[in-house]
Amino acid sequence: MMKRAEIKAALETLLFVWGEPLAAGDAGQVFDLSETETRELFLELKKEYDEAGRGIRIREIAGAFQYCTDPRNAEYVSRLCQPVKEQRLSQGALEVLAIIAYRQPVTRVEIESIRGIRCDRTIESLSRKQLIAEVGRGSGIGRPILYGTTRTFLEYLGLRDLSELPPLAETEDLLEPYAESYAEVGEAENLKNHFDNPSQE
Amino acid sequence: MAYKVKLDIFEGPLDLLVYLIERAEMNIYDIQVAVITDQYLEYLDEMCYQDLAPAADFMVMAATLIDIKSRMLLPRRATDDPEALTEDPRSELVDKILEYKKYKQAAELLEQQAETAGLVFTKAQEELADFEQEQEYLLRLKIDPLMMAFKAFLDRQRRRAEVQRRYSKMEDYRMTVRSRIHQLKNMLTGRRRVRFIELFVSRPDRYQVVLTFLSVLEMIRRKGIKVRQDVNFGEMTLTPTKALAGMQFDAESEFFNDEAG
Repeated sequence: MMKRAEIKAALETLLFVWGEPLAAGDAGQVFDLSETETRELFLELKKEYDEAGRGIRIREIAGAFQYCTDPRNAEYVSRLCQPVKEQRLSQGALEVLAIIAYRQPVTRVEIESIRGIRCDRTIESLSRKQLIAEVGRGSGIGRPILYGTTRTFLEYLGLRDLSELPPLAETEDLLEPYAESYAEVGEAENLKNHFDNPSQE
Repeated sequence: MAYKVKLDIFEGPLDLLVYLIERAEMNIYDIQVAVITDQYLEYLDEMCYQDLAPAADFMVMAATLIDIKSRMLLPRRATDDPEALTEDPRSELVDKILEYKKYKQAAELLEQQAETAGLVFTKAQEELADFEQEQEYLLRLKIDPLMMAFKAFLDRQRRRAEVQRRYSKMEDYRMTVRSRIHQLKNMLTGRRRVRFIELFVSRPDRYQVVLTFLSVLEMIRRKGIKVRQDVNFGEMTLTPTKALAGMQFDAESEFFNDEAG
């Protein structure tokens, strides 16, 4: 029976060799441990690294664990070498990606309806980058393709899972820029009510 | 009215509308449709004027705005029925605008998230081939796919070799505009008239022709030579000016990139 410390050390070796995100279940099979037990060990390790303030950390990403660097040292990396900068996504691509991320599964028509402009090329491009994928078919006419985000999407954003997506703005927040045009606070609510429930005038 | 410098930075008609409404500091629930429509149409005009060919969706929005504008001008239907609701013709559009804004903001959040994530590095998987015990895998291959794969490989190698041969040939001929001008200057100084065709020693390839032409243009601009062409597509005759002999062509000019392009 391996000691806890020995297993954790072995997990460190596995993380290093694997490089890519390693699922707790897969790692656990090496030691005949359950996914839950292995996950616990990984989380303990993660905590130890965080508390020690080391330059190498363990992150939970896309439901798996991975060695990664402390982003605060990124500046030193650039001084040492020229890391390849991934090409940033265009504004339009980000909008499509946001719609898919927050509303998945969603069809192309729904995406275009929100953006007000055609999106097929953007969707194709995001697909090629493996940030989105077909996740099923809608039940409506023509059985339209449904899109959702991928594991690569989570890795691209450094997220553990979709619940870590930053929350969407509420309508009240969106009205912020218009605040000055209201004579008094509260008029926004009145106007909104008036709008939602129009009556004869 | 000051236009945004690049009109094609709007992501679509809703993006443009949001910009116009915010710039006019209008209350989103009480949009002055007439004003916004006029401004929107002005932008479309400017786009067409700048040859930007706005996408069909911009036109659809223009039509929608005009439609709403006209409906706003009609008196609300007066009926005796106290239950009847008269819908504000703008409501559907306002909903669309707010919905779009929500995701536009979300897109910015995602961008920030991606930037932060970009500061984190990970390592690639180790080269594990030595540790894998799948050698039997090779023996299970059929002969045909193997032959096809090998043939495709040979084809690729052949094509690559051809391209490389041609590529290295091109490298030898890449003279710069600056050197060509010096050559021409030497060739022309002291002579009376030279035909363009005489500037080439042997049958020139396209690169050399373009290179020479650009050099000639630069020399004309600097008043080192004069050129005359009597007929369209006819012969061009170059005459050096008296100043040519003393001219220096080392000054910076937009032609002095390293290639003729």
